[in-house]
Amino acid sequence: MKIVNGKKVFCVIPAYNEANSIAKVIDSVKPEVDEVVVVDDGSKDATKKIASQKGVTVLSHLINRGQGAALATGNEYALKNGADIIVHFDADGQFLAEEIKDAIAPIISGEAEIVFGSRFLGKKSNMPWLKKNLLIPLAHLVNKIFVGATLSDPQNGFRAMSRIAAEKIKIEQAGMAHNTEIIHKAFSLGLKIKEIPVTVIYNNFGQRFSGGLKIIKDLFIARLIN
Amino acid sequence: MLQQIIALIVIAFFLSRLVWQKQKKQISPSEFLFWLIFWIIAGAAIIGLKLIDRLAADLGFSGSGIDILIYAAVVVLFYFIFRLRLRQEKTERDITKIIREITIKK
Repeated sequence: MKIVNGKKVFCVIPAYNEANSIAKVIDSVKPEVDEVVVVDDGSKDATKKIASQKGVTVLSHLINRGQGAALATGNEYALKNGADIIVHFDADGQFLAEEIKDAIAPIISGEAEIVFGSRFLGKKSNMPWLKKNLLIPLAHLVNKIFVGATLSDPQNGFRAMSRIAAEKIKIEQAGMAHNTEIIHKAFSLGLKIKEIPVTVIYNNFGQRFSGGLKIIKDLFIARLIN
Repeated sequence: MLQQIIALIVIAFFLSRLVWQKQKKQISPSEFLFWLIFWIIAGAAIIGLKLIDRLAADLGFSGSGIDILIYAAVVVLFYFIFRLRLRQEKTERDITKIIREITIKK
């Protein structure tokens, strides 16, 4: 157990067909936190098997429900098992595990209740041109419309939250709209928010324009339902 | 006139199906009531087509009453699709909840 300042840190890694990268990601994250929780989101490849061999907690969705749903499952498990801090971390190897300590530091010090990673606060990321100049500005616009506020990097999946924040923020967006949803809830609940610079290594393009449109549609439908 | 009779026969068929479903308890009372009212209005619209023709003309539509009924049907259909989409989204959320429950309890 590696409890930081008396705080038990869980890292939730949602994974869908990440057999190529999951082992490396688990190895890098394991020394940084108390418990690694891989949520296999109904992968069709060997993600679940590989993760299980690494000696970490593996939760497995019977069918694919989306990244937001996997994160919500991970959060629920972590809260039930005494997590003080929950870190969300991608399974495709785009984030650096050594930056987890930077993400949880503001929570330990009491400076923040939720910390969002950002690609635009100094650290270098090899972001594709189209993403930087078209998709991210569009994401800002969507956040301004649906959240009324925006962060420097609204679609970053690297975040850390205190137990209280995780209890208050119920992730209902099963798909990729959870990024906007979490930011929206953090603001509307009046949580102490902090952004920290993180490095993002682009192994693939990630969220595409069509994915962005789906996010807008999901947010719109959620508005009608809730 | 023949078209009206055919339409009324079709409506009568659907009404009998509705009553049959109600007797077999395949639909809820509220759903039964909704469709009963729906088909009664449809039947009334067919019988009173002349009245709707006049109403269409008074409202400034160039087409006949039956055109207005089709426009109205399209609007209603769109509304139903919209309702269905919302219901589907709620079902999706419920499935996610069930999957989560199973996952954590395992």
